[in-house]
Amino acid sequence: MKRKPNQFRAFLAITYYAFKAQTRNKSTFFFGFLFPLVFISIFGLIGNANPKVTIGIPSSSNMQNQVIQNVKQSPAITTVVSDNQTLLSQIKQGKIDGLLNVTSNQGANTSYATTLTTSASNPQNAAVVQLLVKGIVDQSNVEISGITTPQISFTITKITGRQSRYIDFALPGMIGFSLLSTAIFGVVFGLIFLKKQLVIKRMFATPMLPLTFLFGQGMSRLIIAIFQTILILVVGVYVFHFYLPHGFETFMDLMILSVFGLVAFLGFGYFMAGLANDENSANPMINLVTLPQFLLSGTFFPTSSLPSWVQPIATNLPLSYFNEAVRKITTEGGSLHDTIPYLLGLSVWGILMYVLAAKTFKWE
Amino acid sequence: MQSHQNEKAIITVSNLHKKFGDFVAVTDVSFEVKKGEIFGILGPNGAGKTTTLEIIETLQKQTSGNVIVDGIDTLKHPWDVKRTIGVQLQSAGFYPELTLVDILQLFAALYDVEVSPMKLLEEVELQDKAKSYVNKLSGGQRQRFSIATTLVNTPKIIFLDEPTTGLDPQARIHLWDMIKKINQKGVTIVLTTHYLEEAEELCERVAIMDKGKIVALDSPEALIKKLLKTGFKKHIEVKQADLEDVFIQLTGRHLHEA
Repeated sequence: MKRKPNQFRAFLAITYYAFKAQTRNKSTFFFGFLFPLVFISIFGLIGNANPKVTIGIPSSSNMQNQVIQNVKQSPAITTVVSDNQTLLSQIKQGKIDGLLNVTSNQGANTSYATTLTTSASNPQNAAVVQLLVKGIVDQSNVEISGITTPQISFTITKITGRQSRYIDFALPGMIGFSLLSTAIFGVVFGLIFLKKQLVIKRMFATPMLPLTFLFGQGMSRLIIAIFQTILILVVGVYVFHFYLPHGFETFMDLMILSVFGLVAFLGFGYFMAGLANDENSANPMINLVTLPQFLLSGTFFPTSSLPSWVQPIATNLPLSYFNEAVRKITTEGGSLHDTIPYLLGLSVWGILMYVLAAKTFKWE
Repeated sequence: MQSHQNEKAIITVSNLHKKFGDFVAVTDVSFEVKKGEIFGILGPNGAGKTTTLEIIETLQKQTSGNVIVDGIDTLKHPWDVKRTIGVQLQSAGFYPELTLVDILQLFAALYDVEVSPMKLLEEVELQDKAKSYVNKLSGGQRQRFSIATTLVNTPKIIFLDEPTTGLDPQARIHLWDMIKKINQKGVTIVLTTHYLEEAEELCERVAIMDKGKIVALDSPEALIKKLLKTGFKKHIEVKQADLEDVFIQLTGRHLHEA
């Protein structure tokens, strides 16, 4: 009589049928596929808009004035014409970045007085408006003076390069976001459901080892995760022109990173699924682990823009390690070798979680 | 009913104890199940029926005592025991996103056996639900499907934990017929119930459990005879028929549920 049952066939069957079950599950579809797609679509559109400042011109102004004409023609400026009162309140609300008054100066030694009002509500845009208008006023002065060969010339040389867009920053974060969602939302709620409905207990009445079940479930999540990464990359590259520095090689590197990342994140999923008795006790745990990571791990904005005291925490979060590793490959065009420090950091988290899960896992 | 009392014991439970912390669930339970019989464990909720069953099924470990199933010690070789038995848990679920055929294939792989899912479904009269999902089944159909999963590994013994709890009378009778049919093929059946008429209808012998102990064990007829010998008389006049009989007559004993 054989003692230990053949676990390989059981493992394959659990992988296959758990995968099949997930493809028919609505939450897999929403969290794993629809959310990341909606996000990258939004980010893709943000990246395509040119930064512009808005300047208000009072309707009482002489629209034929050279300064006003030049401001209107500037590609970096959007103009709005309205009465002075309205424009003043709009600038206070930060709806427009500057208010331009041009008045003719009869009797004085200059022909026109140009006054620019900016707001402290958005200092960055105020500075841009100031520079742009100053340039236009200087240019107009030169034109009016009839100088065709100025004493100081100014030429800009542009080095050709890829325009870095928001999508190039955001898409790597989206891969991390979708993998962490799959590993945590999917695994925790999935396993709790199977525990509560006694699906797992019924399977334990067969010659199936507990680890076979966990490995099979994990493997099915891994297959889903690979599809997620492929989908995000394909949509990113073909629809939003996401840049892969070394083409297919970069793509394959990203697949390897995704597998590595998911395996580490699954540790978190198993730890929480084993600890929680039901959805209600799982919810706060899940939020505690996912929300700070979504905000602090450079998913939506870079960790470098966070206050300095948060940074030591933020840069050592598992999702930060993953996102950094992905950006080494995509933004910096590096190789897998360059990601080793981040993968080590991620491994420490992963191993810690698997050890905790093994110590605390409850099947019922 | 054919007697199996001269058959060998296929399950031997000796001096079983089970404690959960300070709570004593099962105290010194001993009994034998004969090969080929339908054996019932009868008792109120919390009597220790499910715990006893799950210890025999190797799903729980006893605090002390021995269980031998088909010659195998459950503590020493749980894998061999699992291969020999079929288990239906009280209100066990299955993957809600898998069809009945999928689930049977999955179980076949877990047991490392080959099955024909359609044949198994035919045995429990669910062949037309092959592509359906468990959540779409009625209570009776779900229990029948649950029984189909216990047959995947062609077990020698199947365990049914309160198989008819929550079913309407028609569905219950249908399930009784099914259990008898399976038993007639030589499968030993151990079931728990808190319905007295179920024990009387199905079981060759019953163990009556209360507060973790077996308080009586014999055939239903013998238990009744023993009681009558003590001079017991029912005070209520026995009805010639009751409302359940009316219901069954009107809706048809052998009609299947929708």
